[in-house]
Amino acid sequence: MALHRLLALMTTMHLAGVLCNVESTFDEITPQIYEPSWMYKCVPDEGCQRSEHPRPTLSDNSTSAFFDSLDVCRIVCGRFGGIWPKPVTAALSSQTVKIHPNYLRYDLLNVPAETRELLVEMTQVISNNLLAECGGHVTEVVDTQVVVIIVVKTAITSLNWNTDEQYMLDVQTRGGEVSVHIEAETIYGARHGLETFSQLISSDKRDFSDVEHCGLVLVSGAKIRDRPIYKHRGLVLDTSRHFIPMVDIKRTIDGMATTKMNVFHWHATDSHSFPLEASRVPQFTRYGAYSGSEMYTTEEIRELIHYAKVRGIRVVIEIDAPAHSGNGWQWGREYGLGDLAVCVNAYPWRHLCIEPPCGQLNPANPNMYRVLRNLYQDVADLLNSPPLLHMGGDEVYFGCWNSSQEIISYMKDQGYDTTEEGFMKLWGEFHNKALQIWDEEISAKGLDPQPVMLWSSQLTQAQRISQHLDKERYIIEVWEPLNSPLLTQLLRLGYRTVSVPKDIWYLDHGFWGRTVYSNWRRMYAHTLPRDEGVLGGEVAMWTEYCDAQALDTRVWPRAAAVAERLWSDPTSTVYSAEPRLQRLRTRLIARGLRPDAMSPAWCSQHDSKCL
Amino acid sequence: MKMMSWGDALWLGLTARFARVGRLRRAVLMLAAAACTAAAVLYWKQQTDDSANRPLHSMYSGIEPQWSWLCQHDRCERYQASDTTTLQSLQTCNMLCASTQLWPQPTGPVSLASAAVPVRSDRFSLKVIASPSRDVTKHINEAFIVMQNHMRTLEHGVVGENRRSDIGPPRDVLVKVSVNGSGDPRMRLDTNESYKLALRPSGNSLVVDITAHSFCGARHGLETLLQVTWLDPYAGSLLILEAATVVDAPRFPYRGLLLDTARNFFPVSELLRTIDAMAANKLNTFHWHVSDSQSFPWKLDSAPQLAQHGAYGPGAVYTSDDVRTIVKYARIRGIRVLMEIDTPAHVGRAFGWGPEAGLGHLAHCIEAEPWSSYCGEPPCGQLNPRNPHIYDLLEHVYREIIQLTEVDDIFHLGGDEVSEQCWAKHFNDTDPMDLWMEFTRQAMHVLERANGGKAPELTLLWSSRLTRSPYLERLDPKRFGVQVWGASQWPESRAVLDAGFRSVISHVDAWYLDCGFGSWRDSSDGHCGPYRSWQQVYEHRPWATETPESAAWPVEGGAACQWTEQLGPGGLDARVWPRTAALAERLWADRAEGATADVYLRLDTQRARLVARGVRAAPLWPRWCSHNPHACL
Repeated sequence: MALHRLLALMTTMHLAGVLCNVESTFDEITPQIYEPSWMYKCVPDEGCQRSEHPRPTLSDNSTSAFFDSLDVCRIVCGRFGGIWPKPVTAALSSQTVKIHPNYLRYDLLNVPAETRELLVEMTQVISNNLLAECGGHVTEVVDTQVVVIIVVKTAITSLNWNTDEQYMLDVQTRGGEVSVHIEAETIYGARHGLETFSQLISSDKRDFSDVEHCGLVLVSGAKIRDRPIYKHRGLVLDTSRHFIPMVDIKRTIDGMATTKMNVFHWHATDSHSFPLEASRVPQFTRYGAYSGSEMYTTEEIRELIHYAKVRGIRVVIEIDAPAHSGNGWQWGREYGLGDLAVCVNAYPWRHLCIEPPCGQLNPANPNMYRVLRNLYQDVADLLNSPPLLHMGGDEVYFGCWNSSQEIISYMKDQGYDTTEEGFMKLWGEFHNKALQIWDEEISAKGLDPQPVMLWSSQLTQAQRISQHLDKERYIIEVWEPLNSPLLTQLLRLGYRTVSVPKDIWYLDHGFWGRTVYSNWRRMYAHTLPRDEGVLGGEVAMWTEYCDAQALDTRVWPRAAAVAERLWSDPTSTVYSAEPRLQRLRTRLIARGLRPDAMSPAWCSQHDSKCL
Repeated sequence: MKMMSWGDALWLGLTARFARVGRLRRAVLMLAAAACTAAAVLYWKQQTDDSANRPLHSMYSGIEPQWSWLCQHDRCERYQASDTTTLQSLQTCNMLCASTQLWPQPTGPVSLASAAVPVRSDRFSLKVIASPSRDVTKHINEAFIVMQNHMRTLEHGVVGENRRSDIGPPRDVLVKVSVNGSGDPRMRLDTNESYKLALRPSGNSLVVDITAHSFCGARHGLETLLQVTWLDPYAGSLLILEAATVVDAPRFPYRGLLLDTARNFFPVSELLRTIDAMAANKLNTFHWHVSDSQSFPWKLDSAPQLAQHGAYGPGAVYTSDDVRTIVKYARIRGIRVLMEIDTPAHVGRAFGWGPEAGLGHLAHCIEAEPWSSYCGEPPCGQLNPRNPHIYDLLEHVYREIIQLTEVDDIFHLGGDEVSEQCWAKHFNDTDPMDLWMEFTRQAMHVLERANGGKAPELTLLWSSRLTRSPYLERLDPKRFGVQVWGASQWPESRAVLDAGFRSVISHVDAWYLDCGFGSWRDSSDGHCGPYRSWQQVYEHRPWATETPESAAWPVEGGAACQWTEQLGPGGLDARVWPRTAALAERLWADRAEGATADVYLRLDTQRARLVARGVRAAPLWPRWCSHNPHACL
């Protein structure tokens, strides 16, 4: 009350235009020299809040209600702490315990021997991520023993839509010892459990710290039961419009593993370039790579596929065909095989394709199928079993095929009209021939027929698809905008689908033409139908206007928003997710990624104050 | 699964403009004796012995070049290397084919040789022929070293030991610089930035003459020299045009980029890289929006309290030494650092320590809630215009800005988005607009005192309600200039210019780089949008409107604004570049044409230069389009 009166008095003096009655002038003040160092408090329903004043001096005896580190505040504040994606259920202690990676031990006695090697690699990834929290060096050494006991029930090491990814994670601290139990059906479930375990840990560095000192703290108690809602949680990366170096792809995989995504959809080739080395057909890269150093060798591809597997991610290679093929296929004539593709790099392009350079495979040329078989053989050799191929199949431009006399006369021979429906038959024929080749090649490896993925297109329109594409064999990746009925129609017809609505989940939108950028809020807010036929979704990074320079800033943290939508499909609001996503962002930075900022840093220091 | 219309993407409104590409003033210089050697040097023959039995595997082993580019009909065409008798890299073809490849395009006559010779960074030497002051000489020397270091960086891009001997030995290059004019090396409002560059062979070496009227002009000449030097990856060597003359001067004296380091903090290294990229584009003003209501990262010597209470953390602070480093780095690159401490609005916690220090409330509404009642975005805060200590404090701030940046002819007072409600709540006796006007008058007064009793020649305010009628009339156009951020079509944006205020253009509808990323808070009505493409940035020429008044508009230039509500260090480069390069050419050359084919080709090359400098600039188009420069147009 007295204070109010004083304020009122001062205001009165202001009104009178009289100078403020204060004891000192600015020049007489000797400022106390200290660095701005804030503390954070976990406020129920509000999240982590920065203290009103910075602390004049650093001290270690902060009250238990305050945290020196914003990141530490986040891992204990709120029901789900700093875990991203949100688990199904979690009970977390509000206490933490200091740990050091040197005293972290993994007990793998209860896992099948066949899986142990892979699981050891998975634990190494986690240990490296913990070091990364402290920039590679945990300076504060404590000898608290942490034992992570992992139980895996099956010996399955293959990764597909049937892989059981659920896990249980329990953390208990007793008498200066921490025991962590992770139980899962498969090693992939166990890996997710390890990932979640790593997200219960944080460096104790202050926000915007300027000191090297760094220790790790772990939430001292946790009970988590978790499993994904959708089986297919993917990211498309286009490496044809721009070559993306392996190191950047691997960093992207790291981000996916952090967010429990499980499908790296590699749009490896397009009409622009063919960077994928095929050992049976070296011409692909020779005629199709941007340069000798802008290609992926067989060895590198194998390594990447393994790298992804250790991170619980399946690699799907897409060889886009029959359209979106050009460079890499233009050598047929020189080798006496006729035109493998038509309208390659044709000019002016506007009559022959949707974007330059043009190019479409030549379905009239049997040699094209021979070369395609060689390519599929190479892909089947590379992929882990069971192999998943994406056949592409989008945006076939009939004007291109129509410009080739060879194709026109082939169509006549087949009894196809040169009408839209005739071209549809030719297109459908291509996919079915290609699928047969794929089936033969994987059956030669002793494997059962596998479904393949295909982009939605004119061919997959509801009234047409059943005539051309078998619903048991083709999984349709639907990229139509939200207002399209196609996804629902395909589900009704019994097709399995993966959803990538372009106006929401395309990461390249907003930088060209009339497309609109979706920020993470918009991406997060979109939900998929809960239907047996919806295997899941993907977020897509097309690279016409993006290369390795801009990759991270375009992909992260937005892809993480989709990852949570697909993992837990939460009903809670975007706003309640933001503090956890802020924590994820600092985690991604620690792991070497360069995610965009989502808000002014002030807002991340004051949860819920920037609504 | 991609685009419905590629045309939407690249060539909105560009159709068939290709035919109108301006004729390039490239003249093949007559170099009697040297001509034969040059031709021999430039186009080395590929061994043709094995072309008959073409190997399948060796071509993509990562060593041998796969493609060769030949200049045909004024464009570079890509060929399979094995199908051609000459082997030429894309870079070399681009430099020697029709386009000048210079960015920004020079405004005077240009003639460039269509032959190149090998050089090495350590074979460049400098001779200062004339210099008006020791200071200018010192700056020329340092700028020369900067140029040499950039060449060295390019040379580091040589992979392996594939240097080919058949391009001949590297030439010595003697760079002779003459500055006849100002002895002040700073970028000033009256600095003459023009320069002339003449590069010619002399015996077995090359001689470059750069003449200018200021250090900054000479530096621009060195930048142009750097642009006619490139790394040929096939030769594994730097090449330089064998001869060139360039006469050049900018159209506008103020060519800026604003970076906001308050919404998110950017380490010094990020600022330096941004400044270096600006220099590559001959921009001259780094408008440093240091502080805002969210944070105050600059630790002043005279008022450290501001950063102590305002910075995000101890590692999110710029010290005076940091500022000096930035200023010096910019100075050598012909760039002034214009530090803006925005007041009276856009202040926050940094000013919250008044009461405990016995100075009363320096600011009101700090972090007041609900924020939407007291400011445009959270958190709120506005200076207390009735507390005299605030003017003492501002005098210290202004004095330190001027001391550290050594910019005393131009100053930015801020003055953006004052909340009338905030002041109305605390001062119900006075029209907030009067308070604002009075605050601005007082701020100007202490600025004069901080500047040795003299008002800077140009003191900028953000456009606001204060720069609209009837308040505009109360401002003196001789003292104040306006940075116009409103949309180009808003009447008040034009009124400022019509009223004769010297202006820096930053129209939100063209030059705001933060637009198009959606809303960062639930309640927002959506941030400005959509994204401003580089073509939009490039084609914005508000002074070229067909009104009689616009001819007399006192436009000093323009600045792209990178506000950082939704941007951190990781994404800075890709957000700013190459769009700000597009702005740089608009302000330097102000060509009447829009984003024509030649602009695509030159900007694509400029983007590659930036990437080579370590700037993560976003690409313009698919790499195939860089490989086939005309095929995507």
